[in-house]
Amino acid sequence: MKGWQDRITSGEPVLFSLELVTVRRGGTLLLDQVTCQIPAGTCTALTGPSGSGKTTLLRLLNRLDDPDAGRVCLYGRPLPDRDVLALRRQVALVAQAPVLLTGQVLDELRAGQPGLGEQDAAGLLEQVSLPATMLARGTAGLSGGEAQRLCLARALAAGPQVLLLDEPTSALDSVSAHAVEQTAKSFIAAGGSVVLISHDTGQTRRIASQVLALRDGHITTRKEPP
Amino acid sequence: MNPAVPTWAGVAASLALVAAAVAIAWRQRLHLAREITIAAARAGAQLAAVGAILLLVFQHAGLAGAAGWLAIMVLIAGQVAGRRARGLPRALPVATAAVAAATAATMGTLLVLGVISTQVRVVIPVGGMIVSGAMAATAVTLTRLREEAAAARPAIEARLCLGLPADRAFAPHMHAALRTALIPAIDSTKTVGLISLPGAMTGLILAGVSPLTAIRYQIVVMYMLLAAAALAALTAARLAAHALFDDAHRLRPLPAPAGKDHR
Repeated sequence: MKGWQDRITSGEPVLFSLELVTVRRGGTLLLDQVTCQIPAGTCTALTGPSGSGKTTLLRLLNRLDDPDAGRVCLYGRPLPDRDVLALRRQVALVAQAPVLLTGQVLDELRAGQPGLGEQDAAGLLEQVSLPATMLARGTAGLSGGEAQRLCLARALAAGPQVLLLDEPTSALDSVSAHAVEQTAKSFIAAGGSVVLISHDTGQTRRIASQVLALRDGHITTRKEPP
Repeated sequence: MNPAVPTWAGVAASLALVAAAVAIAWRQRLHLAREITIAAARAGAQLAAVGAILLLVFQHAGLAGAAGWLAIMVLIAGQVAGRRARGLPRALPVATAAVAAATAATMGTLLVLGVISTQVRVVIPVGGMIVSGAMAATAVTLTRLREEAAAARPAIEARLCLGLPADRAFAPHMHAALRTALIPAIDSTKTVGLISLPGAMTGLILAGVSPLTAIRYQIVVMYMLLAAAALAALTAARLAAHALFDDAHRLRPLPAPAGKDHR
Protein backbone atom coordinates (compact mmCIF):
# COMPACT_ATOMS: atom_id res chain seq x y z
CA MET A 1 0.00 0.00 0.00
CA LYS A 2 2.93 2.30 0.65
CA GLY A 3 3.85 1.75 -2.98
CA TRP A 4 1.97 4.62 -4.38
CA GLN A 5 3.20 7.29 -2.13
CA ASP A 6 6.63 6.56 -3.53
CA ARG A 7 5.34 6.54 -7.06
CA ILE A 8 3.72 9.98 -6.89
CA THR A 9 4.68 11.19 -10.32
CA SER A 10 4.91 14.83 -11.14
CA GLY A 11 6.96 17.35 -9.27
CA GLU A 12 3.79 19.07 -8.02
CA PRO A 13 3.65 19.77 -4.29
CA VAL A 14 1.26 17.57 -2.33
CA LEU A 15 -2.11 19.23 -1.75
CA PHE A 16 -3.98 16.60 0.26
CA SER A 17 -2.47 13.56 1.87
CA LEU A 18 -4.61 10.82 3.36
CA GLU A 19 -2.97 8.48 5.83
CA LEU A 20 -4.69 5.17 6.69
CA VAL A 21 -8.09 6.86 6.50
CA THR A 22 -11.02 4.74 7.61
CA VAL A 23 -14.68 5.80 7.53
CA ARG A 24 -17.47 3.68 8.98
CA ARG A 25 -21.19 4.45 8.91
CA GLY A 26 -23.29 2.13 10.99
CA GLY A 27 -21.83 -1.29 10.31
CA THR A 28 -20.56 -0.41 6.85
CA LEU A 29 -16.93 0.27 6.06
CA LEU A 30 -16.97 3.08 3.48
CA LEU A 31 -13.24 3.72 3.33
CA ASP A 32 -10.75 1.12 4.57
CA GLN A 33 -7.30 2.42 5.53
CA VAL A 34 -6.94 4.58 2.45
CA THR A 35 -3.52 6.16 1.96
CA CYS A 36 -2.98 8.46 -1.00
CA GLN A 37 -1.78 11.85 -2.08
CA ILE A 38 -3.46 14.43 -4.24
CA PRO A 39 -1.09 16.86 -5.97
CA ALA A 40 -1.61 20.61 -6.14
CA GLY A 41 -2.13 22.54 -9.34
CA THR A 42 -3.72 19.68 -11.28
CA CYS A 43 -6.97 17.79 -11.61
CA THR A 44 -7.25 14.45 -9.83
CA ALA A 45 -10.17 12.26 -10.86
CA LEU A 46 -11.81 9.76 -8.50
CA THR A 47 -13.47 6.92 -10.36
CA GLY A 48 -15.15 3.68 -9.37
CA PRO A 49 -18.56 2.03 -9.13
CA SER A 50 -21.25 3.65 -6.99
CA GLY A 51 -20.81 2.81 -3.33
CA SER A 52 -17.05 2.55 -3.70
CA GLY A 53 -16.40 5.53 -1.40
CA LYS A 54 -15.77 8.38 -3.85
CA THR A 55 -18.21 10.86 -2.35
CA THR A 56 -17.17 9.82 1.16
CA LEU A 57 -13.56 10.63 0.29
CA LEU A 58 -14.51 13.98 -1.26
CA ARG A 59 -16.51 15.00 1.83
CA LEU A 60 -13.46 14.41 4.01
CA LEU A 61 -11.52 17.05 2.11
CA ASN A 62 -13.59 20.03 3.33
CA ARG A 63 -14.52 18.35 6.63
CA LEU A 64 -18.15 17.78 5.80
CA ASP A 65 -17.20 14.43 7.35
CA ASP A 66 -14.29 13.34 9.52
CA PRO A 67 -12.55 9.96 9.30
CA ASP A 68 -13.08 7.45 12.13
CA ALA A 69 -9.38 6.64 11.97
CA GLY A 70 -6.37 8.02 10.13
CA ARG A 71 -5.85 11.61 9.11
CA VAL A 72 -6.25 14.01 6.23
CA CYS A 73 -3.72 16.80 5.74
CA LEU A 74 -3.83 19.89 3.54
CA TYR A 75 -0.31 21.09 2.66
CA GLY A 76 0.99 18.78 5.39
CA ARG A 77 -1.21 20.22 8.14
CA PRO A 78 -4.00 18.06 9.57
CA LEU A 79 -7.43 19.45 8.66
CA PRO A 80 -8.72 19.58 12.28
CA ASP A 81 -5.87 22.01 13.08
CA ARG A 82 -7.31 24.50 10.61
CA ASP A 83 -10.28 26.85 11.07
CA VAL A 84 -13.06 24.84 9.47
CA LEU A 85 -14.99 27.84 8.07
CA ALA A 86 -11.84 29.22 6.43
CA LEU A 87 -11.05 25.72 5.12
CA ARG A 88 -14.46 25.49 3.41
CA ARG A 89 -13.88 28.83 1.68
CA GLN A 90 -10.48 27.63 0.57
CA VAL A 91 -11.71 24.16 -0.48
CA ALA A 92 -15.08 24.58 -2.21
CA LEU A 93 -17.34 21.60 -2.80
CA VAL A 94 -19.99 21.43 -5.53
CA ALA A 95 -22.50 18.64 -4.98
CA GLN A 96 -23.78 16.31 -7.66
CA ALA A 97 -27.34 17.67 -7.67
CA PRO A 98 -27.56 21.46 -7.82
CA VAL A 99 -29.16 22.94 -4.69
CA LEU A 100 -30.25 26.54 -5.10
CA LEU A 101 -30.73 28.50 -1.90
CA THR A 102 -32.40 31.73 -2.97
CA GLY A 103 -34.92 33.06 -5.48
CA GLN A 104 -32.57 35.30 -7.50
CA VAL A 105 -29.39 34.58 -9.42
CA LEU A 106 -27.57 37.55 -7.87
CA ASP A 107 -28.66 36.53 -4.34
CA GLU A 108 -27.52 33.01 -5.08
CA LEU A 109 -24.00 34.23 -5.85
CA ARG A 110 -24.09 36.29 -2.67
CA ALA A 111 -25.24 33.37 -0.49
CA GLY A 112 -21.76 32.88 0.93
CA GLN A 113 -20.43 36.36 0.07
CA PRO A 114 -23.04 38.94 1.07
CA GLY A 115 -20.81 41.84 0.00
CA LEU A 116 -20.27 40.59 -3.58
CA GLY A 117 -20.59 43.45 -6.07
CA GLU A 118 -22.68 43.17 -9.23
CA GLN A 119 -19.66 43.42 -11.48
CA ASP A 120 -17.87 40.58 -9.66
CA ALA A 121 -21.08 38.57 -9.81
CA ALA A 122 -21.24 39.09 -13.58
CA GLY A 123 -17.61 37.97 -13.81
CA LEU A 124 -18.45 34.76 -11.96
CA LEU A 125 -21.28 34.02 -14.40
CA GLU A 126 -18.87 34.58 -17.25
CA GLN A 127 -16.46 32.03 -15.73
CA VAL A 128 -19.15 29.36 -16.05
CA SER A 129 -20.27 30.59 -19.52
CA LEU A 130 -23.57 32.06 -18.35
CA PRO A 131 -24.65 35.50 -19.63
CA ALA A 132 -24.30 38.44 -17.24
CA THR A 133 -27.89 39.41 -18.09
CA MET A 134 -28.97 36.42 -16.03
CA LEU A 135 -28.13 38.26 -12.78
CA ALA A 136 -31.58 39.80 -12.50
CA ARG A 137 -33.37 36.54 -13.25
CA GLY A 138 -35.15 34.30 -10.79
CA THR A 139 -33.61 30.92 -10.06
CA ALA A 140 -36.90 29.04 -10.45
CA GLY A 141 -36.82 28.95 -14.24
CA LEU A 142 -33.23 27.75 -14.65
CA SER A 143 -32.52 24.49 -16.45
CA GLY A 144 -30.60 21.76 -14.64
CA GLY A 145 -27.43 22.68 -16.51
CA GLU A 146 -27.80 26.39 -15.72
CA ALA A 147 -28.50 25.61 -12.07
CA GLN A 148 -25.40 23.43 -11.81
CA ARG A 149 -23.25 26.09 -13.43
CA LEU A 150 -24.73 28.69 -11.06
CA CYS A 151 -23.78 26.43 -8.11
CA LEU A 152 -20.25 26.27 -9.51
CA ALA A 153 -20.12 30.07 -9.84
CA ARG A 154 -21.47 30.40 -6.28
CA ALA A 155 -18.65 28.14 -5.06
CA LEU A 156 -16.10 30.28 -6.93
CA ALA A 157 -17.37 33.47 -5.27
CA ALA A 158 -15.27 32.91 -2.15
CA GLY A 159 -12.11 32.67 -4.26
CA PRO A 160 -11.22 29.07 -3.35
CA GLN A 161 -7.87 27.44 -4.10
CA VAL A 162 -9.36 23.96 -4.49
CA LEU A 163 -12.55 22.81 -6.20
CA LEU A 164 -14.14 19.51 -5.22
CA LEU A 165 -16.60 18.45 -7.93
CA ASP A 166 -18.91 15.50 -7.29
CA GLU A 167 -20.00 14.22 -10.72
CA PRO A 168 -20.66 17.78 -11.81
CA THR A 169 -21.79 16.92 -15.31
CA SER A 170 -23.53 13.56 -14.86
CA ALA A 171 -27.01 15.02 -15.43
CA LEU A 172 -26.10 17.86 -17.78
CA ASP A 173 -26.62 18.59 -21.46
CA SER A 174 -23.42 18.65 -23.54
CA VAL A 175 -23.25 22.47 -23.67
CA SER A 176 -23.36 22.76 -19.88
CA ALA A 177 -20.98 19.81 -19.43
CA HIS A 178 -18.49 21.47 -21.77
CA ALA A 179 -18.84 24.77 -19.88
CA VAL A 180 -18.15 23.06 -16.53
CA GLU A 181 -15.07 21.34 -17.96
CA GLN A 182 -13.79 24.65 -19.35
CA THR A 183 -14.29 26.28 -15.94
CA ALA A 184 -12.32 23.49 -14.28
CA LYS A 185 -9.53 23.82 -16.84
CA SER A 186 -9.21 27.60 -16.46
CA PHE A 187 -9.35 27.19 -12.68
CA ILE A 188 -6.31 24.92 -12.86
CA ALA A 189 -4.57 27.18 -15.38
CA ALA A 190 -4.98 30.03 -12.86
CA GLY A 191 -3.15 27.98 -10.22
CA GLY A 192 -6.05 26.14 -8.59
CA SER A 193 -6.46 22.43 -7.95
CA VAL A 194 -9.46 20.24 -8.76
CA VAL A 195 -10.63 16.91 -7.34
CA LEU A 196 -13.28 15.49 -9.60
CA ILE A 197 -15.55 12.49 -9.26
CA SER A 198 -16.45 11.28 -12.72
CA HIS A 199 -17.82 8.25 -14.49
CA ASP A 200 -16.98 9.72 -17.86
CA THR A 201 -13.63 8.39 -19.10
CA GLY A 202 -13.61 10.94 -21.91
CA GLN A 203 -13.94 13.71 -19.34
CA THR A 204 -11.17 12.37 -17.10
CA ARG A 205 -8.94 12.07 -20.16
CA ARG A 206 -9.66 15.69 -21.08
CA ILE A 207 -9.00 17.31 -17.72
CA ALA A 208 -7.43 14.96 -15.17
CA SER A 209 -3.72 14.33 -14.82
CA GLN A 210 -4.15 11.59 -12.22
CA VAL A 211 -6.91 9.01 -11.77
CA LEU A 212 -7.56 7.26 -8.47
CA ALA A 213 -9.84 4.27 -8.90
CA LEU A 214 -11.81 3.18 -5.84
CA ARG A 215 -13.54 -0.11 -5.16
CA ASP A 216 -15.16 -1.22 -1.91
CA GLY A 217 -13.43 1.49 0.11
CA HIS A 218 -9.95 0.80 -1.26
CA ILE A 219 -7.92 2.60 -3.88
CA THR A 220 -7.20 -0.09 -6.45
CA THR A 221 -5.18 1.81 -9.03
CA ARG A 222 -3.55 5.14 -9.49
CA LYS A 223 -2.59 6.06 -12.98
CA GLU A 224 -2.34 8.71 -15.62
CA PRO A 225 -5.57 9.00 -17.55
CA PRO A 226 -5.74 6.59 -20.52
CA MET B 1 -69.49 31.75 47.54
CA ASN B 2 -71.05 28.34 47.11
CA PRO B 3 -70.56 27.35 43.49
CA ALA B 4 -73.23 25.26 41.85
CA VAL B 5 -71.22 22.07 41.39
CA PRO B 6 -72.60 18.52 41.29
CA THR B 7 -72.81 16.52 44.53
CA TRP B 8 -71.11 13.09 44.77
CA ALA B 9 -74.54 11.59 44.13
CA GLY B 10 -74.70 13.68 40.98
CA VAL B 11 -71.28 12.39 39.91
CA ALA B 12 -72.48 8.82 40.45
CA ALA B 13 -75.59 9.55 38.41
CA SER B 14 -73.45 10.84 35.54
CA LEU B 15 -72.13 7.30 35.22
CA ALA B 16 -75.37 6.77 33.28
CA LEU B 17 -73.68 8.72 30.45
CA VAL B 18 -70.74 6.31 30.47
CA ALA B 19 -73.21 3.44 30.43
CA ALA B 20 -74.85 5.01 27.35
CA ALA B 21 -71.51 5.22 25.56
CA VAL B 22 -70.70 1.61 26.49
CA ALA B 23 -74.12 0.49 25.30
CA ILE B 24 -73.64 2.18 21.93
CA ALA B 25 -70.20 0.61 21.53
CA TRP B 26 -71.55 -2.81 22.47
CA ARG B 27 -74.62 -2.64 20.22
CA GLN B 28 -72.56 -1.48 17.26
CA ARG B 29 -69.90 -4.15 17.94
CA LEU B 30 -67.15 -1.56 17.98
CA HIS B 31 -65.06 -3.61 20.42
CA LEU B 32 -64.60 -0.44 22.40
CA ALA B 33 -66.83 -1.15 25.40
CA ARG B 34 -63.94 -2.36 27.51
CA GLU B 35 -61.73 0.54 26.53
CA ILE B 36 -64.45 3.11 27.27
CA THR B 37 -65.04 1.56 30.71
CA ILE B 38 -61.33 1.62 31.49
CA ALA B 39 -60.97 5.21 30.23
CA ALA B 40 -63.89 6.37 32.38
CA ALA B 41 -62.53 4.56 35.44
CA ARG B 42 -59.07 6.02 34.85
CA ALA B 43 -60.43 9.54 34.50
CA GLY B 44 -62.36 9.18 37.78
CA ALA B 45 -59.43 7.71 39.67
CA GLN B 46 -56.84 10.18 38.30
CA LEU B 47 -58.99 13.21 39.05
CA ALA B 48 -59.85 11.93 42.54
CA ALA B 49 -56.16 11.43 43.25
CA VAL B 50 -55.22 14.87 41.87
CA GLY B 51 -58.06 16.46 43.85
CA ALA B 52 -56.85 14.85 47.07
CA ILE B 53 -53.23 15.85 46.45
CA LEU B 54 -54.21 19.41 45.49
CA LEU B 55 -56.25 19.67 48.70
CA LEU B 56 -53.20 18.61 50.70
CA VAL B 57 -50.91 20.98 48.81
CA PHE B 58 -53.32 23.92 49.10
CA GLN B 59 -53.67 23.40 52.84
CA HIS B 60 -50.10 22.54 53.83
CA ALA B 61 -47.51 23.18 51.13
CA GLY B 62 -47.15 26.93 50.84
CA LEU B 63 -45.45 28.66 47.93
CA ALA B 64 -42.38 26.39 48.10
CA GLY B 65 -44.62 23.35 47.71
CA ALA B 66 -46.30 25.00 44.74
CA ALA B 67 -42.92 25.62 43.15
CA GLY B 68 -42.02 21.97 43.72
CA TRP B 69 -45.30 20.89 42.14
CA LEU B 70 -44.59 23.12 39.10
CA ALA B 71 -41.07 21.68 38.83
CA ILE B 72 -42.48 18.16 38.65
CA MET B 73 -44.95 19.26 35.95
CA VAL B 74 -42.07 20.82 34.00
CA LEU B 75 -40.07 17.57 34.19
CA ILE B 76 -43.00 15.50 32.98
CA ALA B 77 -43.78 17.99 30.19
CA GLY B 78 -40.12 17.93 29.14
CA GLN B 79 -40.24 14.14 28.89
CA VAL B 80 -43.41 14.20 26.80
CA ALA B 81 -42.22 16.92 24.41
CA GLY B 82 -38.72 15.44 24.20
CA ARG B 83 -40.03 12.01 23.31
CA ARG B 84 -41.99 13.49 20.40
CA ALA B 85 -38.69 14.67 18.96
CA ARG B 86 -36.88 11.36 19.29
CA GLY B 87 -33.86 11.22 17.01
CA LEU B 88 -33.01 14.84 17.66
CA PRO B 89 -29.73 15.07 19.58
CA ARG B 90 -30.24 15.83 23.30
CA ALA B 91 -34.02 16.04 22.82
CA LEU B 92 -34.97 15.46 26.47
CA PRO B 93 -32.74 18.07 28.12
CA VAL B 94 -33.51 20.56 25.34
CA ALA B 95 -37.28 20.10 25.75
CA THR B 96 -37.11 20.27 29.54
CA ALA B 97 -35.00 23.43 29.45
CA ALA B 98 -37.41 25.07 26.99
CA VAL B 99 -40.50 24.30 29.09
CA ALA B 100 -38.69 25.37 32.27
CA ALA B 101 -37.47 28.66 30.80
CA ALA B 102 -40.89 29.54 29.37
CA THR B 103 -42.67 28.64 32.63
CA ALA B 104 -40.22 30.54 34.83
CA ALA B 105 -40.31 33.68 32.68
CA THR B 106 -44.09 33.75 32.18
CA MET B 107 -44.96 32.83 35.77
CA GLY B 108 -42.31 35.19 37.13
CA THR B 109 -43.72 38.09 35.10
CA LEU B 110 -47.30 37.41 36.27
CA LEU B 111 -46.20 37.23 39.91
CA VAL B 112 -43.79 40.19 39.86
CA LEU B 113 -46.33 42.47 38.16
CA GLY B 114 -48.95 41.32 40.66
CA VAL B 115 -51.27 40.14 37.87
CA ILE B 116 -52.11 36.94 39.73
CA SER B 117 -52.06 36.26 43.44
CA THR B 118 -49.30 34.24 45.06
CA GLN B 119 -51.82 31.88 46.69
CA VAL B 120 -51.03 28.22 46.09
CA ARG B 121 -54.55 27.66 44.76
CA VAL B 122 -53.82 30.21 42.02
CA VAL B 123 -50.17 29.44 41.26
CA ILE B 124 -50.66 25.72 40.63
CA PRO B 125 -53.53 25.78 38.10
CA VAL B 126 -52.19 28.85 36.28
CA GLY B 127 -48.74 27.23 36.23
CA GLY B 128 -50.30 24.05 34.86
CA MET B 129 -51.82 25.98 31.95
CA ILE B 130 -48.48 27.63 31.22
CA VAL B 131 -46.57 24.33 31.37
CA SER B 132 -48.99 22.59 29.03
CA GLY B 133 -48.94 25.49 26.54
CA ALA B 134 -45.14 25.51 26.64
CA MET B 135 -45.07 21.73 26.22
CA ALA B 136 -47.25 21.83 23.11
CA ALA B 137 -45.17 24.57 21.49
CA THR B 138 -41.93 22.78 22.39
CA ALA B 139 -43.13 19.48 20.94
CA VAL B 140 -44.16 21.07 17.63
CA THR B 141 -40.97 23.12 17.40
CA LEU B 142 -38.68 20.16 18.00
CA THR B 143 -40.60 17.84 15.68
CA ARG B 144 -40.58 20.41 12.89
CA LEU B 145 -36.89 21.19 13.45
CA ARG B 146 -35.98 17.53 13.18
CA GLU B 147 -38.00 17.15 9.98
CA GLU B 148 -36.59 20.36 8.50
CA ALA B 149 -33.02 19.37 9.32
CA ALA B 150 -33.39 15.88 7.86
CA ALA B 151 -35.27 16.95 4.72
CA ALA B 152 -33.16 20.04 4.04
CA ARG B 153 -29.77 18.41 4.58
CA PRO B 154 -28.62 19.15 0.97
CA ALA B 155 -29.45 22.86 1.32
CA ILE B 156 -27.92 23.09 4.80
CA GLU B 157 -24.74 21.38 3.62
CA ALA B 158 -24.64 23.60 0.53
CA ARG B 159 -24.56 26.62 2.86
CA LEU B 160 -21.93 25.00 5.09
CA CYS B 161 -19.84 24.32 1.97
CA LEU B 162 -19.84 28.06 1.28
CA GLY B 163 -18.12 28.54 4.63
CA LEU B 164 -21.21 29.74 6.50
CA PRO B 165 -21.29 28.91 10.22
CA ALA B 166 -23.88 26.41 11.44
CA ASP B 167 -26.31 28.99 12.85
CA ARG B 168 -26.46 30.92 9.57
CA ALA B 169 -26.69 27.74 7.51
CA PHE B 170 -29.67 26.63 9.59
CA ALA B 171 -31.40 30.00 10.14
CA PRO B 172 -34.00 29.76 7.32
CA HIS B 173 -35.05 26.29 8.53
CA MET B 174 -35.21 27.39 12.16
CA HIS B 175 -37.49 30.28 11.21
CA ALA B 176 -39.79 27.95 9.28
CA ALA B 177 -40.05 25.59 12.26
CA LEU B 178 -40.73 28.47 14.66
CA ARG B 179 -43.50 29.87 12.46
CA THR B 180 -45.21 26.48 12.31
CA ALA B 181 -44.90 26.02 16.06
CA LEU B 182 -46.47 29.37 16.89
CA ILE B 183 -49.43 29.18 14.51
CA PRO B 184 -51.68 27.17 16.91
CA ALA B 185 -51.11 29.60 19.79
CA ILE B 186 -51.73 32.60 17.52
CA ASP B 187 -54.85 31.07 15.98
CA SER B 188 -56.38 30.12 19.30
CA THR B 189 -55.66 33.64 20.56
CA LYS B 190 -57.41 35.08 17.48
CA THR B 191 -60.51 32.94 17.72
CA VAL B 192 -60.96 32.77 21.48
CA GLY B 193 -64.58 33.31 22.43
CA LEU B 194 -65.73 32.95 18.82
CA ILE B 195 -65.08 29.25 18.30
CA SER B 196 -64.41 28.00 21.79
CA LEU B 197 -65.24 29.16 25.28
CA PRO B 198 -61.95 28.50 26.97
CA GLY B 199 -61.55 26.37 30.09
CA ALA B 200 -60.65 28.99 32.66
CA MET B 201 -63.58 31.20 31.68
CA THR B 202 -66.01 28.27 31.52
CA GLY B 203 -64.87 27.18 34.98
CA LEU B 204 -65.34 30.62 36.49
CA ILE B 205 -68.79 31.01 34.94
CA LEU B 206 -69.81 27.55 36.18
CA ALA B 207 -68.54 28.53 39.61
CA GLY B 208 -70.93 31.51 39.61
CA VAL B 209 -68.61 34.35 38.64
CA SER B 210 -70.00 37.08 36.40
CA PRO B 211 -68.98 36.68 32.75
CA LEU B 212 -67.48 40.18 32.74
CA THR B 213 -65.19 39.16 35.61
CA ALA B 214 -64.47 35.77 34.03
CA ILE B 215 -63.19 37.36 30.81
CA ARG B 216 -60.61 39.38 32.72
CA TYR B 217 -59.03 36.13 33.85
CA GLN B 218 -59.33 34.67 30.38
CA ILE B 219 -57.63 37.63 28.73
CA VAL B 220 -54.67 37.23 31.07
CA VAL B 221 -54.65 33.49 30.37
CA MET B 222 -54.58 34.01 26.59
CA TYR B 223 -51.73 36.53 26.81
CA MET B 224 -49.71 34.32 29.10
CA LEU B 225 -50.22 31.27 26.86
CA LEU B 226 -49.05 33.29 23.86
CA ALA B 227 -45.91 34.34 25.74
CA ALA B 228 -45.29 30.82 27.07
CA ALA B 229 -45.60 29.31 23.57
CA ALA B 230 -43.31 31.93 22.02
CA LEU B 231 -40.68 31.63 24.75
CA ALA B 232 -40.75 27.84 24.76
CA ALA B 233 -40.56 27.61 20.96
CA LEU B 234 -37.68 30.09 20.77
CA THR B 235 -35.70 28.44 23.57
CA ALA B 236 -36.30 24.96 22.14
CA ALA B 237 -35.30 26.08 18.64
CA ARG B 238 -32.12 27.80 19.81
CA LEU B 239 -30.99 24.87 21.95
CA ALA B 240 -31.96 22.24 19.38
CA ALA B 241 -30.28 24.11 16.52
CA HIS B 242 -27.13 24.12 18.61
CA ALA B 243 -27.44 20.40 19.34
CA LEU B 244 -28.00 19.55 15.65
CA PHE B 245 -24.48 20.64 14.70
CA ASP B 246 -21.07 19.61 15.99
CA ASP B 247 -18.05 21.79 16.72
CA ALA B 248 -16.85 21.52 13.12
CA HIS B 249 -20.11 23.10 11.85
CA ARG B 250 -21.47 19.81 10.57
CA LEU B 251 -25.06 18.65 10.65
CA ARG B 252 -25.15 15.53 12.81
CA PRO B 253 -26.62 12.31 11.38
CA LEU B 254 -30.40 12.16 11.82
CA PRO B 255 -32.95 9.41 11.33
CA ALA B 256 -34.64 9.53 7.93
CA PRO B 257 -37.64 11.89 7.76
CA ALA B 258 -40.16 9.04 7.72
CA GLY B 259 -42.57 10.53 10.27
CA LYS B 260 -42.34 7.47 12.52
CA ASP B 261 -42.74 9.13 15.84
CA HIS B 262 -45.41 6.94 17.26
CA ARG B 263 -44.39 4.15 19.53
